[in-house]
Amino acid sequence: MTTSGAMRDTPLIGSYSADDVLAWEQGRPRTAGQFLAEGSHLAEIVPDRPTVLNLANSRYEFLVGLAAAILRRQVTLLPQNRASESLRRLVDDYPHSYCLTDQGETIEGIESILVQSQQAIAPCHMKIPRIPIDQVVAIAFTSGSTGRPMPHAKTWGALTAVAHATGASLGISSRKPLTVVATVPHHHMFGLEASVMLPIMHGAVMHAGRPLFPADVANALAERVGPWILVTTPLHLRACLTEGVKLPPAGLIVSATAPLALNVAQEAEQYFQAEVHEIFGFAEAGSVAHRRTINGEQWHPLDGVRLNQDGGSFLADAWYLPTPVPVPDRISVNVDGRFSLYGREADQVNVAGHRVSLGDLNQKLLGIDGVQDGVFFLPEDESPLVTRLMAFVVAPGKTNEEIQRALRRRLAPVFLPRPLVFVPRLPRNETGKLPRESLLRLVQEWKERADHGF
Amino acid sequence: MTAQSPIEQEVAQLLVETLKLKVSAAIIDPVQPLFGDGLGLDSIDALELALAISKTYGYQLKSSDPDIKVIFSSLRALAEAIEKNRTK
Repeated sequence: MTTSGAMRDTPLIGSYSADDVLAWEQGRPRTAGQFLAEGSHLAEIVPDRPTVLNLANSRYEFLVGLAAAILRRQVTLLPQNRASESLRRLVDDYPHSYCLTDQGETIEGIESILVQSQQAIAPCHMKIPRIPIDQVVAIAFTSGSTGRPMPHAKTWGALTAVAHATGASLGISSRKPLTVVATVPHHHMFGLEASVMLPIMHGAVMHAGRPLFPADVANALAERVGPWILVTTPLHLRACLTEGVKLPPAGLIVSATAPLALNVAQEAEQYFQAEVHEIFGFAEAGSVAHRRTINGEQWHPLDGVRLNQDGGSFLADAWYLPTPVPVPDRISVNVDGRFSLYGREADQVNVAGHRVSLGDLNQKLLGIDGVQDGVFFLPEDESPLVTRLMAFVVAPGKTNEEIQRALRRRLAPVFLPRPLVFVPRLPRNETGKLPRESLLRLVQEWKERADHGF
Repeated sequence: MTAQSPIEQEVAQLLVETLKLKVSAAIIDPVQPLFGDGLGLDSIDALELALAISKTYGYQLKSSDPDIKVIFSSLRALAEAIEKNRTK
């Protein structure tokens, strides 16, 4: 522990002067002075409740709501998704919440407050509030094995430490103008860390939008001032490459949520003339490691993060984590602290007595030339002899034989997919992940069609 | 259901193939909503669809198009936008 029991606090935002642009919302600048005025104004009018569901769609309005809650010592809940059932269950667990929206949505049973940029508010003097590092400011949720979301409290110290360490790993200097544009949602852990905390801790401009189409990404980046960072996922990056959009010079791409295939990273670096970096993390600990994909598969822990062996698995530790957090992925750590990632622990399957990680198989499939996406799956039904793996692959222009041949070069024969099914796309969710339920549904659909002689 | 025009038939086919929908292209009602309650498409579908439209018709969709919500509101609106903006 590097912190003592004595209360420490740090500023709500990095070094901005009042007229510096802190965010860019719908083609208009929002200065740091305006942001502080709006945040403290909202803090005065929100109800006196311990928790808040911040549903603002604009990254800027979300930030104003987050700041207001922090100033009131309220905890912002980060719902896993916007499905009405998930929100309802969250309200069941946190009944004394209110909800912040910028579009007027309501959640049954709790008060709803509209957060909208108020031009009328005069920018206040640049007295940046200081926030205690041990104040819990947010709660992220993961899917528990029981089906109930598991809460993970985030302190101000954790969010700011990760933002600074991420900035250092990407080589960001606070003294240069920089705009951060993100395709990822801001209410997920990675999005909160990389698209909100990262820019505001570095005096950068946070783009409030969430570009979806490749042309949107290009347009958002065209609005920037100076160098840019694109915070994104392998899915959106592939879309931008497929579409062949032109991005402005002096950029850096940060991808997370799923490992990026080396060939995609190489292609993106070359085509966009931008460095492609990846962040590895999990909601329980936040971002923990970094790599520049083309420099090798090994990950570098972020400043202050240590990975300690604990029997067969590893624990992530940092001063800002209340207790060490089990790493949910299989890793092997070098003496110098760098590590290799082999996929989620739960990914382990056994085929005819041979253990293998599905994540590892998926990486091999994704590394094949012409494969845009793909996933291995071990069916649960009982076969008379051995249950074989199957795989779904997105590889337009490639034949089944070509992919099978490439796989044979990479895998033990026992792991070759039988069958290998070509699909136009995989049912990934908006963060690029492939939920197990969606995969099971895909398998079910395929079986039904196979049964009908397709 | 309203009948599909030739371009609507073509776009319906592209929709079904691109998104691997379990419906026949011929039964997509041109005035039925594509997203949410209608065909139930989501933002990843929109992304996939935009790539396919760009490839097939040379028309790059943008969220900043003032009528993007209208364009994606139905097969008819989408087909009209493609007719108007296609470059191939």
